[in-house]
Amino acid sequence: MKTTVIFVIMLFVLHTLPAFPQKFNPDNVCRIDDGKLIFTLNLKWTAKEKKELSDLFDLDSILIDQVYKGKTTITLDGETWQVRKLQGNMAELSKAIHTGAAKRINLNDLLLMVDKWSNFAGSENESAAIFGVNNFTVANAFVYSNPIARFYLPGFKSASKIYISGTFNKWSTTQTPMKFVGTGWMIDLNLLPGKYTYKFIVDGRWITDPSNKLREDGGSGSDNSVVFCYNHEFKLKGFKTADKVVVTGNFLNWKPKGIALAKTADGWTASVYLRDGTYAYKFIVDGSWITDPGNPVVKNDTYGNSNSFLGIGEAYTFKLDGYTNAQKVVLAGSFNNWSPTELVMDKSSKGWQLQYVIAPGNYEYKFIVDGRWMIDPANPFSVGAGDTQNSFIALKANHIFELAEYPDAKQVILSGSFNGWSTKDYRMVKQGGKWIFPIYLPQGKYTYKFIVDGKWILDPVNKLYEQNEYGTYNTVLWIENSK
Amino acid sequence: MPCNMRIVNLVQNSQMMAVRLSNRILSFIALLFCMAFLPSFTTFSPLLSFPSVALYPGMNLYISSASNYYTPEFSQKTDSVIIPLKRVGRLFLIEAKVDGEAGNLVFDTGANGLVLNSTYFREHVKSGGVVSSGITGSVGIVEQITVGQLEFAELRYSNLTADVANLGHIENRRGVKIIGLIGFSLLRSLEVVIDARRSVLKLYKIDKAGRRVNSGSKSFVPEFSQKIEGNGNILFVKGAVGGKLLNFCIDTGAETNAISADLNKKVMSTIVITRRASLKGAGAAGSEVLFGRMSDFVIGSRKISEMETVITNLDGLSEAYGTHIDGLLGSGFLESGVLCVNFLSGQFGMRFTKGEKQ
Repeated sequence: MKTTVIFVIMLFVLHTLPAFPQKFNPDNVCRIDDGKLIFTLNLKWTAKEKKELSDLFDLDSILIDQVYKGKTTITLDGETWQVRKLQGNMAELSKAIHTGAAKRINLNDLLLMVDKWSNFAGSENESAAIFGVNNFTVANAFVYSNPIARFYLPGFKSASKIYISGTFNKWSTTQTPMKFVGTGWMIDLNLLPGKYTYKFIVDGRWITDPSNKLREDGGSGSDNSVVFCYNHEFKLKGFKTADKVVVTGNFLNWKPKGIALAKTADGWTASVYLRDGTYAYKFIVDGSWITDPGNPVVKNDTYGNSNSFLGIGEAYTFKLDGYTNAQKVVLAGSFNNWSPTELVMDKSSKGWQLQYVIAPGNYEYKFIVDGRWMIDPANPFSVGAGDTQNSFIALKANHIFELAEYPDAKQVILSGSFNGWSTKDYRMVKQGGKWIFPIYLPQGKYTYKFIVDGKWILDPVNKLYEQNEYGTYNTVLWIENSK
Repeated sequence: MPCNMRIVNLVQNSQMMAVRLSNRILSFIALLFCMAFLPSFTTFSPLLSFPSVALYPGMNLYISSASNYYTPEFSQKTDSVIIPLKRVGRLFLIEAKVDGEAGNLVFDTGANGLVLNSTYFREHVKSGGVVSSGITGSVGIVEQITVGQLEFAELRYSNLTADVANLGHIENRRGVKIIGLIGFSLLRSLEVVIDARRSVLKLYKIDKAGRRVNSGSKSFVPEFSQKIEGNGNILFVKGAVGGKLLNFCIDTGAETNAISADLNKKVMSTIVITRRASLKGAGAAGSEVLFGRMSDFVIGSRKISEMETVITNLDGLSEAYGTHIDGLLGSGFLESGVLCVNFLSGQFGMRFTKGEKQ
C-alpha cells in the first residue's frame, strides 16, 4: 500500500514538473538565470520544431545541429555555448547574456523587430484598398457627390467643439472643425474617390462615427471608422421580376455573395469604390451568372468563361512606332506580372498601340515584338542594365526630381528610400538643360540623394535634410496628398 | 538610411548642470566612453559635449537635475484643457506649432523638456543665435535654441529653451512629421492626467500647493498613489516584479517596456522570454535583444500580468538619469489605466482598467 502511494506521488510529481517541455512551446524554452541565457531543449524535437526554435530565438542552425550531435562546448560567432545533458531527452544550452555588447545597434531595426514580435501591424496603406462599399445606419450620415463628401454627426447638442480627424487631414486634431446645424454637426470636405479612415473629436475626446458600422483596427487597440468615396455605379436595366441581383468580379475574388444591387424604377443599381485599374465582373440574377448587357466589352478568360470588363481611371496609351512588318507585338510589364501573352497590341497606321488602364504608380515594361523583348525606344526613362534593362513609366507622377546643376555630368542617379537606395536603377534624364526623374509616390516621407558621376550629393534646392547613419545627410521629401 | 545617432551634450549654465541625451541610439560603447569622461566634468568649461551614446530604444532621453520648468498661458478663460492625442504606432503625438512650424510633438515623459527636430529647426538655430553647439565630428550635433512661441491645444509658451537634435529616425519609422519631443518640464506647473486607452491628455491649472484651480471637475481619485521622488522632471515609480520592489521610469515615449537583464534570480524567473534577436553588425560578438512578458508585475495593489517587455542592459540609462533604474514603463504599461501626475503636490496616482487586485 505504502509503495503504491509513493509511486502515485512520484508519478504526480513527475507529471507536474513544469520545466521540461515535451513539444516545442516558445513560452517554455528560454530563461535568464544568473546572467546566463538558458534554453531547455528536447533532443527528440522534429526538424520543424528545431526550425521554429531557430527562427524565434535567432539561433544559428549550425549551433542547433551541433547540440543535437552531442557537442558539449560550441563556439560560434565569438560566443561560447555550453550544453548540459538533463534527464530523459532533455538538454540545457546556455551562454553568458550579451545585452550590453559594446557596439552600435540600429534603433530603427530594433523597434521594427519589436513591432513584429508583438504582432504590431502598423498603419495600412489606404491607397492599396481595391474595392469598398459603405455601411451607414443613418442615411444622411455620409453623402458623397464627387468631390464633396458631407459628414453628418447627429446629436451632441451640448458639445462645444467637434472636429473631424482622419487620413484626409493627416489625422489633424485641430484643422477641421465641424459646424453645429441645429440637429447635429456637419462638415463638407473635398475628397477624391478612395478609402478614408476617420474619427470625430468631441470636446477633446475621440469617438468613432456612431452611424457607421464599417470600422477597422486603428493599430492602437481602438477602432477607426472607414468610409469609401464612390467612383463607380453598377447598373443593370430590366430584370424587374428578379428577387436578387448581385455583382461580383475579380475585385471580390469572384465570391458569389458579391455586392447586392438595389431595385430602382428601371432595374438595379449599386455604387462602389474601385481603385484605378481594369476589372472583370459579372452579375448574378437569382443565381444565374450573366455578363453586363449594358457593357459591350466582354472577354473570355483562360477557362473559356466570358466576363464583362471595365476600366476605372484614365487609360494610358502604350505606343510602338514602326515594326509594321511584325506579326505580333505584346506589352508586358510589372503591371501584369510580365505576362508574355495577355496584352496583345493593336496595329495602327504608324505602328502598334494599346490603351490600358492602370492605377497610379511606377511601372517597368517592355514590348515583345515577334517573341523578341525590347525596351520602348521612345521612352528615355529606363531602369536596370543589360538584359534586365526595362522601360520605366510613372503613371500620374506626382513628383519630379530635378537637378539644374551639373549639366555636364555624364550620369546622374536618383537614389532614395523609395527604391531601396539603389545606386543604379533610377537614371535621371537630361531635358531642357536639367536632370529630371518623374515619379509617383504615395503620401509620406522619403529621403533621397543624387549620385552625380559617382559622387553622392544632397538636393541643392531642398532645404530639408537629416543626418543618416553614416554621419552624412539625406535630403527629406514629404509627399502630401497622393489621392 | 535611418539615423541612429544619440548625442550626449553636457552643459553647465548658471542654474543647472544638465546631462542631455537626445536622439536615442543603442551604442553602449559610446556610453561607456562617455561615462569614462564623466569625472572630468566637475571642472568644466561652460560647454562640453560628447559623442553619442547608446541607450535603450524608444526613449528620447533628456535629463536634468534641475527643477526648472515653464508655465503656459491659457489662450481661453479656462482652467483645464483636454488634448486629443494622436496615436502613431505606439507613440503619443500632440499637434503643435513652434515658431510657425506646424507638426507633431511626441509626448515623451522620458525627455525633460522640449527637443526639436533639426530637419525643421536648423535654420532657426542660425537666425536665433546659438546658445550652445556641440559638434561631435561625424556623430551629430546638439544645439540649443530659444523658441519664441510654442502653442498646442489652448496653451501658449513664450521664450523657451529647446534642444535641436535629429529626430528623423522616428519619422522614418512611423511615417509622420515629428517636429519635436515634449517632456514634463513644460507640464509640471499643471496637473497632468494621461488616459492612454482613450488617447487623451488632460491638463489642469493648479495652485502652488498643487490643488486644481476652479476646474469644476472632480479631483482625480487614485486607486494607488506614490510620492514623486526627486526634484527633476522625470517620473520614477516603484513597482514589484517577482515580489521584489524595483525602480521604474514612466516613459510615454518608450515604444516598448524594458527591464534590466541583470536583476536577481527571483525577478528573472517571472519573466518569460519568447523572442531573441542577435543583432549583427561590424563588431565582433553579437549583441542580443531579448523580448518577453512579465508574468508578475505589481504596482500598488494591482497585478498587471502578461506585459510585454524588452529585456536589456539598463546601466547606461541609470547613469544618465543619475539614479538606479530597473525598468522603463512605456506605452504597454500606460494602456493599463489612467495616470495622474502632479509635480507640485509631489503625487503620482493611478486608476486601473487592467489587471487584478492583489
